[in-house]
Amino acid sequence: MKSFYRLATLTLMMMVLAASAFAQKQVPETALVNLTEGQGTIASSGNPSWDGLSELVLIPGASLMGASSSTTALYLGFTGGSEADIGNMVLYEVPRNGSTVLKVEKVTLGATQSPSIVLTDTSTCPVQPVSVTNPCIVRLDTVKLALSPLDDFYFAIYFTLDTNNEKISGAGQTGSQGALSGFSIYGDQTRVGVKGALPTNEDTDQPPFFLAYIAND
Amino acid sequence: MKTIFKFATLTLTLTIMMFAVSVSSFAAAAKAENLVRGIIGPVASNTSWSGYSTMALIPGAGLIPITSTKAVFYLGFTAGSEADINNMVLYTTARGSSTITASTPVTLGGISNPSIDLASATVCPVVEISDFNPCIVRLDPTTITLSALNDYYLVVYFTADDSNDTALGLTQPSFGQSSLRGSYVTGDESRLSVGGSIPNTPFSNQPYMLMYVMND
Repeated sequence: MKSFYRLATLTLMMMVLAASAFAQKQVPETALVNLTEGQGTIASSGNPSWDGLSELVLIPGASLMGASSSTTALYLGFTGGSEADIGNMVLYEVPRNGSTVLKVEKVTLGATQSPSIVLTDTSTCPVQPVSVTNPCIVRLDTVKLALSPLDDFYFAIYFTLDTNNEKISGAGQTGSQGALSGFSIYGDQTRVGVKGALPTNEDTDQPPFFLAYIAND
Repeated sequence: MKTIFKFATLTLTLTIMMFAVSVSSFAAAAKAENLVRGIIGPVASNTSWSGYSTMALIPGAGLIPITSTKAVFYLGFTAGSEADINNMVLYTTARGSSTITASTPVTLGGISNPSIDLASATVCPVVEISDFNPCIVRLDPTTITLSALNDYYLVVYFTADDSNDTALGLTQPSFGQSSLRGSYVTGDESRLSVGGSIPNTPFSNQPYMLMYVMND
């Protein structure tokens, strides 16, 4: 009888200790951490007219900083315009330093891949008007994808061919681009399928215009 | 009595389950991670390496705080059918110093002078290798804990008067965002001793060949 009591008490103590240690381990995982180095400063020069253009941004697996996360949150930076009409957003997975699509993930805002972001709305952009000194950072819906250092990723966003998009501007060309680089290209480049090839980056390692940060949340 | 049995059994089961979860959590922590920011974006090619040493600087100041007792180097090839490596070594210096404080052999298949068959599909899955399909070769894990207080130089010497190495193409990064830097010199710089100096050559460019430094 006493042995059973001892066993039960000992096991219970072990469980409490284990639970305590486990709980301590969980705390840092809930903190907001960068998955890669994002853009440091905000600029606004060099923006083309974005109507009918796509931007592709390379998120290199070789730059991931080891934060363990099963989710990815992408943040867009706007420095001008009144409304951004997005035709589609996706996240492509390709081999490291490659361009053949392995996987395509949908990227959404408010659960839609084609949101219109009203930049004059203070609930979206609290400080008005939106400018280089008051950039509007928009957090997209969290993507349920763990970025792997063994692959590269391209965030692709297509801006609808309309007058609103003629006037919007993004956060590039910043002087401190972190690990990100991007390029713009005419037409909708968000519909490339698995095994398809992404368009060639002819702008080399220029900073992206819209994608500013990549975090776990 | 039965209640105690049930309680003990339940508690024991819970403990085992929690232990299993902890173990799987630790196992997940051992997945491949970058120790430093590697080569980013598309690559070009640079050929004819017979008799040259490539040197890649892995700066302590660029280390990502991942705890690892080993470093794994990945080399990129863009042309050729065989790479004849004469020797590979990792030098340690104090940060910013060129004086070698340690020299660690680097191997592939257990040897420091491997010949890499780039025409083999088991080595390079996508044949034929090119700028668009570089062949990335993972070297054996090197037992070393990279320290933020040191710098490291990976030196690979390609055999002299070797036709394979004359036709050999190494990756040449197009983007400049990696933490790695590199250079190359004529002759064998892979057999320097502790107390010797890293050759005085500018490490202002991205490295040839060294693509990634990871924990696995």
